[in-house]
Amino acid sequence: MTTLEGLAHGLTVALQPSVLIYSLFGALLGTLVGVLPGIGAMAAITLLLPITYYISSEAALVMLAAVYYGAQYGGAVASILLRLPGTPQSAVTTLDGYPMAQQGRAGVALFTAMVSSFAGSMLGIVILVALAGVLGRLATSFGAAEYAAMMVMGLVAASTIGEGRPAKSLSMVVLGVLLGCVGTDVNSGVQRFTFGQVQLLDGINLVALAMGLFGLAEVIGNIRKAERDGPPPHVSLRQLVPSRDDLRRIVAPIGRGTALGGFFGALPGTGSTISSFLGYALERRVARQPERFGQGAIEGIAGPEAANNSAAITAFVPTLTLGIPGDPIMALMLGALVIHGIQPGPMMLEAHPDMFWGLVVSFGIGNLFLLALNLPLIGIWVSMLRIPFRWLYPAIIVFVCLGVYSVRGSTFDIVMVAGIGAIGYALAVAAFSPALLLLGFVLGPLIETNLRRALLVSRGDLMTFVERPVACGFVIATVLLLALPLLKGLRRNGG
Amino acid sequence: MTDLRRSLALASILAGTVATAAAAQNWPSEPLHVFVGFPAGSSPDTIARIVAEPLAEAIGQPVVVENKPGAGGVIAIQQMLARGNDDYSIGININGPLTTAPRLIPDLGYDPAADIAPVGLIATSPLVLAVGADFPADDIQGFIDAAAEPEAISYGSVGEGSGAHLTAELFADAAGVQLFHIPFQSYAEVTTSILGGEIDSGFMAPSAALPHVEAGTMKMLGVTSAEPFAQVPDVPVMAGQAGLPEDFRAELWNAMIAPAGTDPAIVERLNTELNTILNDPEVRDQLLAIGWQAQPGTPEDLAQRITGDTAMWGGVIDRTQAAN
Amino acid sequence: MRRDLHDAAWGGVLALVGLAVAAWAAAYYDFGGLRRMGPGFFPVVLGLILAALGLLVAVPALGRPGMSRHFAWPETVGVVGALLVFGLLLNRAGLVPTTALTVLIASAVAPRRGIVWRLVLTIAVTALTWVLFIGGLDMPIPAWPRSF
Repeated sequence: MTTLEGLAHGLTVALQPSVLIYSLFGALLGTLVGVLPGIGAMAAITLLLPITYYISSEAALVMLAAVYYGAQYGGAVASILLRLPGTPQSAVTTLDGYPMAQQGRAGVALFTAMVSSFAGSMLGIVILVALAGVLGRLATSFGAAEYAAMMVMGLVAASTIGEGRPAKSLSMVVLGVLLGCVGTDVNSGVQRFTFGQVQLLDGINLVALAMGLFGLAEVIGNIRKAERDGPPPHVSLRQLVPSRDDLRRIVAPIGRGTALGGFFGALPGTGSTISSFLGYALERRVARQPERFGQGAIEGIAGPEAANNSAAITAFVPTLTLGIPGDPIMALMLGALVIHGIQPGPMMLEAHPDMFWGLVVSFGIGNLFLLALNLPLIGIWVSMLRIPFRWLYPAIIVFVCLGVYSVRGSTFDIVMVAGIGAIGYALAVAAFSPALLLLGFVLGPLIETNLRRALLVSRGDLMTFVERPVACGFVIATVLLLALPLLKGLRRNGG
Repeated sequence: MTDLRRSLALASILAGTVATAAAAQNWPSEPLHVFVGFPAGSSPDTIARIVAEPLAEAIGQPVVVENKPGAGGVIAIQQMLARGNDDYSIGININGPLTTAPRLIPDLGYDPAADIAPVGLIATSPLVLAVGADFPADDIQGFIDAAAEPEAISYGSVGEGSGAHLTAELFADAAGVQLFHIPFQSYAEVTTSILGGEIDSGFMAPSAALPHVEAGTMKMLGVTSAEPFAQVPDVPVMAGQAGLPEDFRAELWNAMIAPAGTDPAIVERLNTELNTILNDPEVRDQLLAIGWQAQPGTPEDLAQRITGDTAMWGGVIDRTQAAN
Repeated sequence: MRRDLHDAAWGGVLALVGLAVAAWAAAYYDFGGLRRMGPGFFPVVLGLILAALGLLVAVPALGRPGMSRHFAWPETVGVVGALLVFGLLLNRAGLVPTTALTVLIASAVAPRRGIVWRLVLTIAVTALTWVLFIGGLDMPIPAWPRSF
């Protein structure tokens, strides 16, 4: 079956009325859970899984997939309006989205997020179709040494995204990595920093950390301030539409974000949170005026939103073509397929072309639904800003609690959020970057596990990072990233 | 902690004998909660849901599957116990939290022998020894020969103290070889690593290896069950081969459990219903499709499994800890 | 001249945290070698790095003027208290009473007098929560306390 035949075939599958309805339902539900802080695709898919036993395998997967990428759209909404990330992967959208909202440009920010998400997904589908074979091989050609070297490069590249003094920024990254050490050590089974709490054996809950550092810290700081400032000025419909200059600015970031997200999505173990962080770091790096970032730079929304949506699509590559799920959500999808008697793997395309091509086409249709659904909603979201904050924040607190609880049904995690929120607020007052702490937390465990595994595989030989060409490339890039500012400084002094 | 629980459990049995005899007559009068230690979509969760539906029909009350993932299934047992023996909280869990967890987690908070009432075994699964397609050997003897030099052959497991790790060490001990352990977080990672040529082998769930065997990129050298496993009938059993003992057997299992002190009549009822469900050919097929063999039995059978496995894996843990 | 006390204090705290982490890890977790790096390696090394960074934050801050920043104590206590109440009550009291109490506590620190709007808000949020999470998402949480 050629790609065109496959797509035509997929169209007949995806356009079945029942599949369409489940796709629409999934997109709606995904948007809802994405908007609600803390509740993410994982919780929604978990809640939906029992239903999938009773519907066709195509409808089931199309619905779950729609929830998954729908949540990526919704996640940006609260990030932009309230500095409250709906999902961890949209935490980075708060950095420039929220300042834009405060400048009265919430509508433009939301529009940018939606359009970038849509473009990222659609281009992600193109990548999926065109490069599924290549990307599938990518997954197995990346060993522990490559992961370790790549993640170190990512950490170095991204640790400049905070503002202010370098020592303050770096201390947050390191603190994040240390928080990532909490829990059972994969390599030795030793329980680190758990202090007898069995609830900590799997580490600190990422959602709890993201909600506490961003959402709650913001709520605490805003209760009195919002009352003093009053609601933001009324936004006319014209101000919702981005200017020509805005549009010109977001094209290139969407392209870069999509490519970056497409790459990381296809690698098992990385994924949309890392993609959006690195997408942001990349935009800041290539920007002519990096100091605009954090003050409402529109590129800082377009890049990461395109990246995380593109990653959400290409994450299906290793899941479907190798039977290797890259993250817990993909493991859930795999589980849903297996329940229907479909074993994803190298034979998937031949054995179940209906499923594969139906899914691919439905991704496109689902994203069209999402764009059509979300663009008209922008006006409603923006008008929510006019509700006095004292009416909003108690509800936000309840939603954060339930969102965190939904991850694994643990009230311990809610208590954790309380503590993290207080610390997060104190850090925010002292102008430490919570985004960098989160970055360290996400990348740290990947770096540690893969570095130690790479050394196990090579039996303790550090040369593995030099002898393996891809790993060596990342090491060289990391060295360059570190040396570049020094070289610039030297040239300035010398010339 | 456990002493207190134990005496409370005992007290409640004594005090409740008369009252519960009457209560068991009306049981169940409210929904039954099943605490599962793994997230939705995982194999223990799927097993729980396969069982829950016919169980709800049989007892005439809803059966609510509650996913309390964490610490390899331990969190779900703690949460089940925290609700007290209210006759409406049971668990479906894997072998780890009932056998090896007391050895591996110092602050477990429960004692499987004293705090858990076994209801019945549900299903078992062996592990297969899988290698990449270009591995020089095609059978267990060849694998053992290749591993003659200590630590020459590496294997991936799903974590220190996991079933896969302990099974591999049990195998290595029986075969008289020393394998090089590299822990991963999931079978998906182990598979990727074998396909990428980073590690030589892995002890893994048959269903994780099967698609790659069918695609010709992996080989299965042996299976750890006593009989050939129905999902991979062509893979030879390890027992008795290449100098391995005749009784060599290592299986993962899922079982239904209740808090100690649950009315014995209710445990009996649940066991009867469970066995009826597990003897249904359709259920057996559903379980097999996800890599599990239905194993109906009595609560005593399960109790014996727990004691036997605790002793067997305890020995393996002793040896690996001594080696480190 | 007012010193930059915020950075000085936080730098000091971070330095202490780093040292404590490194000391704890060095005492209890195996450092290992290059071939089999132990669970102590990362925490010890990173703990020491954090301690150094903390000093780098703290020491220069002592020598430069800073501005005093407002710390919203009442709001912090109110919000954290609301979260704690939610976490500790949810499994015991059920969703509806827990939500109501949480909203009341949280709204107590709002800078606006009056009890009526607080009660209206409590009822509205509780109803919305029930509709969204029990009615809509059908999450497995009891709505009311378990029967006695």
